[in-house]
Amino acid sequence: MAVGTVGLTMGPARAGEAKPAASGARESVVAYVEDHRSGQLRLLVGEREVVVHDRDLVTRILNAAGGK
Amino acid sequence: MSSHREAPETAKDPVADSTDVYAFVSPDRPDTVTLIANYIPFQAPDGGPNFYEFGEDVTYDIHVSNKGKGKADVTYRFHFHTKVRNPKTFLYNTGPIGSLSSASWNRPQFYSVTRIRDGKAKVLAERLACPPVNIGPRSTPNYPALAASAVHKIGRRRVFAGQRADAFHVDLGSIFDLGALRPFENLHLIPSAAAAGVNSLQGFNVHSIALQVPITEVSRSGKLPTNVASPGAVIGVWASASRRTSRIFDRKTGEYKHHGPWEQVSRLGNPLFNEVIVPMAEKDAWNAHRPKDDKNYAKFVNHPELAKLLPVLYPGVFPHLASYHKARADLNAILLTGIPSGVVPGFQNYTGPVEADMLRLNLAIPPASSPNPLGLVGGDAAGYPNGRRVDDDVVTIELRAVAGATIPLVDPSYTVDGAAGVVKDGTSNTNTSATDTFPYLGNPGGGYQTEPGSAAV
Repeated sequence: MAVGTVGLTMGPARAGEAKPAASGARESVVAYVEDHRSGQLRLLVGEREVVVHDRDLVTRILNAAGGK
Repeated sequence: MSSHREAPETAKDPVADSTDVYAFVSPDRPDTVTLIANYIPFQAPDGGPNFYEFGEDVTYDIHVSNKGKGKADVTYRFHFHTKVRNPKTFLYNTGPIGSLSSASWNRPQFYSVTRIRDGKAKVLAERLACPPVNIGPRSTPNYPALAASAVHKIGRRRVFAGQRADAFHVDLGSIFDLGALRPFENLHLIPSAAAAGVNSLQGFNVHSIALQVPITEVSRSGKLPTNVASPGAVIGVWASASRRTSRIFDRKTGEYKHHGPWEQVSRLGNPLFNEVIVPMAEKDAWNAHRPKDDKNYAKFVNHPELAKLLPVLYPGVFPHLASYHKARADLNAILLTGIPSGVVPGFQNYTGPVEADMLRLNLAIPPASSPNPLGLVGGDAAGYPNGRRVDDDVVTIELRAVAGATIPLVDPSYTVDGAAGVVKDGTSNTNTSATDTFPYLGNPGGGYQTEPGSAAV
């Protein structure tokens, strides 16, 4: 089964592009948007779950998941 | 079954499927309590080349509640690790396994034991060896000695984790064929000739986690209870299994990668609770909840489906049960709160008003010198529903209770149907004999020695 891959941002880095933080995860992470209508994102990392409320981030993930 | 494949999700996840829980004052060390949780049901002993083992991706817990709130006051946690000694062979063993350190044993398992009390975790032991499964006389000669060498001491505690013979006996083939109870099928709505019961679990193995700890480590006061009537003499016990929130398949390795917190996927206190009390549509959610929230399931205890089915399936046999429509306070006490003082003379295992499915054990009641498999209803207060011993006939006990035999304990106006005192599933204990010493469960059947069952149509 083929798996599609799309970039969340296209083209060269933008001025507002996120940069790695010292506290950022250095391992694999699973992001889970349980309800596409909410701005909530569940991040599963190690044995922890981090719940993020970020409408913009969720929208970009949904757009990417839709192939845009 | 007690809790073998009792819910849709756990039926697909045997490694995390808790099948039976036992809790009893140790007969040979009465200042200790033995706690046993079994997993991985229906192990055909010859099921190689990848034999049964604990899940590295599962957290196994045995919980003790001693404050009457249905919450875990002491938890013993077990994590397993598997080692592959020779990655170039497909074999479980490349020669006889004469000891736990044998180089011929290609896939040994090890585990850690952690105690969590008052929110503080303490690792009690690490890198404890499991025994191999019982493969046969060439691969695992003198299996009893091999298994005995896997009983480890941690201070005054003893622990064992590995394959054992299933001690539970039940006639699955008849019970799940529309509630036929051999040898009473001639009285069934769809009658057939009476026949002897068939122990469906005979010859099958399970994986057991057995722990023996000083009673003072789990009692409310930290002392050895001696007063049966004292509320602090009673503990509640249940087991659970947890998995990580997310599981993603890695096609490069063909293995799964896990992310996120541990989430409870299976639990077990009283035998048969989720199996025959909780409706199918709610079984998976029940497995994910904690006992302290079991008030949500009390309606299924107070008005059990099975009590309504018996008079329908056996016309005219249970007339008093058929006309009894009150809430089943007897079952609520046995399964959810414990039996208060004054109901059974000289006995109580009441933990308070919090409705929670737990095995309730009164630690002040000494082991019986001549145990009766019918436990409390057989006049033996050291047996189920006061905790549960390996040989307790919980199917008969619970079947008779559901059929109304225990209603008079709380409602003296009720007349018990004659059948309620004799009904059973027709099986006797034909499993491998229990042992007199820890871990008490019998040695597992060997693969080479196994013969297939029948395939009658």
